Amino acid sequence: MAGKQRRSPPRVPHASAGRRPPHRTPRRDRPGKAALRRAVSRAVPASSRESRALPRAAVMALRAVALCRAASQPYSGGWAALRPQVRWLRSSNPFTRRQEEEWRRRNRTVLAYIAAAAVGMVGMSYAAVPLYRLYCQATGLGGTTGAGRGAERLEEMRPVRERVLKVTFNADVHAGLQWNFRPQQSEIYVVPGETALAFYKAKNPTDKPIIGISTYNVVPFEAGQYFNKIQCFCFEEQWLNPHEEVDMPVFFYIDPEFAEDPKMAKVDSITLSYTFFEAKEGQHLPLPGYQ
Amino acid sequence: MSTAMNFGAKSFKPRPPDKGAFPLDHFGECSAFKERFMQCLRDSGFESGLCRERAMAYLQCRMDRQLMANEPLEKLGFKDLIEEKSEAEAGKL
Repeated sequence: MAGKQRRSPPRVPHASAGRRPPHRTPRRDRPGKAALRRAVSRAVPASSRESRALPRAAVMALRAVALCRAASQPYSGGWAALRPQVRWLRSSNPFTRRQEEEWRRRNRTVLAYIAAAAVGMVGMSYAAVPLYRLYCQATGLGGTTGAGRGAERLEEMRPVRERVLKVTFNADVHAGLQWNFRPQQSEIYVVPGETALAFYKAKNPTDKPIIGISTYNVVPFEAGQYFNKIQCFCFEEQWLNPHEEVDMPVFFYIDPEFAEDPKMAKVDSITLSYTFFEAKEGQHLPLPGYQ
Repeated sequence: MSTAMNFGAKSFKPRPPDKGAFPLDHFGECSAFKERFMQCLRDSGFESGLCRERAMAYLQCRMDRQLMANEPLEKLGFKDLIEEKSEAEAGKL
């Protein structure tokens, strides 16, 4: 049986197609009952009989169909003609069938592993954001770069006396805020590595208390990374009573590494600009570094 | 400011201050120290290095009146001034 070629089942003429009655094979050419039983058992897939995957009624229906087909078709073309039409479940070569099933199983396992890895990567990329935030909270880095921004650095800092920088002060107020906000000195001369103090003045000329919140800007932008504020009045709500005037100090220093940066060689003037906004009730402003 | 829509240019990213924000001096308790500091600045041609003692005095005033977290002044970059002062006092004694 294994060596025989598969031939297409012979065409059965429809009962009403021709005037002649359908051709019936002579009795001596028809398969015997034993041969029919063998053909039926081949027609029905073996797995259904073993595993009882198909319900019993379906098995019997299949057998009936196969029997009818076997009985009505003239017996020709060998056992191959009686095979079921579903071909993709089994290969034609029974010797390689087991190997092909094994390959198929192995392929499915590999596919499962790859799919799991892909899903894992996607999940990791989503999980990375909160994990990194946790890590920053644990180690206290908070996204800051640069070696040692601690108090020890302030203590050990040595001023670079050769570079004298002019720091200009600018004050701005948002249109909706009715404060008078101005710096108390227009510029000061500092050296990198030395802490410096500067003052702004804010006055509330109105009759009601106003809360303001400020942010700052440093120009040129590249020098802004060397501009470190130890303490100031920014990013926190500042309450001013009616007709009150306060001094607002800024305590800062310029990193001594400024002198070693070749990009900063031409820079000798830095502008620090503060802008005040009105802080309304319930307004949540995105503050850098906090939360 | 840093809200410019040019994606290629570097933008400024404001950083929070290292030690937080100064509480406001509503009652002007340290205004005298501030005035002395500003006077020194004007006299010295706005050179910050020459007025560091007065800056130190102002910060000490703030710390004394609970307007600033108490911290040894060496940690605020005044180490050389503290050492000079202690040397001077040791010399006097």
